[in-house]
Amino acid sequence: MADEEVRERRIVVAVDESEQSMYALSWCLENLVCDSESGNVKDTLILAFARPPRTVYTALDGTGYLFSTEVVDSMEKYSLEVAASVIAKATAICKDLKHVKVDTKVGCGDARDVICDMVEKVGGDILVMGSHGYGLIKRAFLGSVSNHCAQNVKCPVLIVKKPKA
Amino acid sequence: MGEKKKIMLAIDESDVSHYALEWALSFLKPTISSPLLLFHAQPLPSFSYVYAGYGTAPTELIQSVQEHQTKITEALLERAKEICAREGVIAETLTELGDPKDVICAAAEKFGVDLLVLGSRGLSTLQRTFLGSVSNYCVHHAKCPVLVVKKPA
Repeated sequence: MADEEVRERRIVVAVDESEQSMYALSWCLENLVCDSESGNVKDTLILAFARPPRTVYTALDGTGYLFSTEVVDSMEKYSLEVAASVIAKATAICKDLKHVKVDTKVGCGDARDVICDMVEKVGGDILVMGSHGYGLIKRAFLGSVSNHCAQNVKCPVLIVKKPKA
Repeated sequence: MGEKKKIMLAIDESDVSHYALEWALSFLKPTISSPLLLFHAQPLPSFSYVYAGYGTAPTELIQSVQEHQTKITEALLERAKEICAREGVIAETLTELGDPKDVICAAAEKFGVDLLVLGSRGLSTLQRTFLGSVSNYCVHHAKCPVLVVKKPA
């Protein structure tokens, strides 16, 4: 028993501003992550956040509207603030972990692609995400990030739904 | 992490199910509480092709098809149980008759599992629309978290 090799697991958790993803993160900490000093499992937790891309408005737009640089800058600043607050919230949930390394990564772009690329880049063994729990129609219009990731990511995907209270 | 969790693994005869079992045993070892529930959904036998010739399916045919299916199920579950035993995990086997999607979700609820593990055949979007996807259905309808394992290319 003593000479069992140490198993390293890289767990990627995709977070966004929603409560569901924070619930998924806490579920993951309670149920999946091993925070023990002894034992043969060493976990690394990677928090991945996708920031929506900076929208570019061209002057050839039919309406003739062109956002001034100030507006675009303030939108960008807001998006960075949202990213920082989400990462802070997620890190706060993880603050009690003593033997698990916590890493945070922020990517810019469409959530689906950002998450898939990040998992590959980071070499994740498993991706954990929350799900908004949309019905069929909402899914058709809003799209589902968790659905897309579950189909396209190379590693196993764990989808945690927040139970309706 | 608190106490160990009750985990149910839904398997069928596909390769990816076998891979999901092996992967789950290695990755989830610290979390699995004994016993690990191995669930196999037996599809309802379809006799539509027989009606053309006979009018109604003869009882012996129905019986022999059902026996054959039961044998396949038992062999599959026994093999899975052995794989678990090899890794030092006690497994309990279960089977239900019916459409896999509904039956898996119902069983997960009945046994109050904390995590459901499924393999995914990795169908394309078009194939999914026509053939349906059990893992997709379970992700949306199961009350507990679902872990979908794909076989790496």
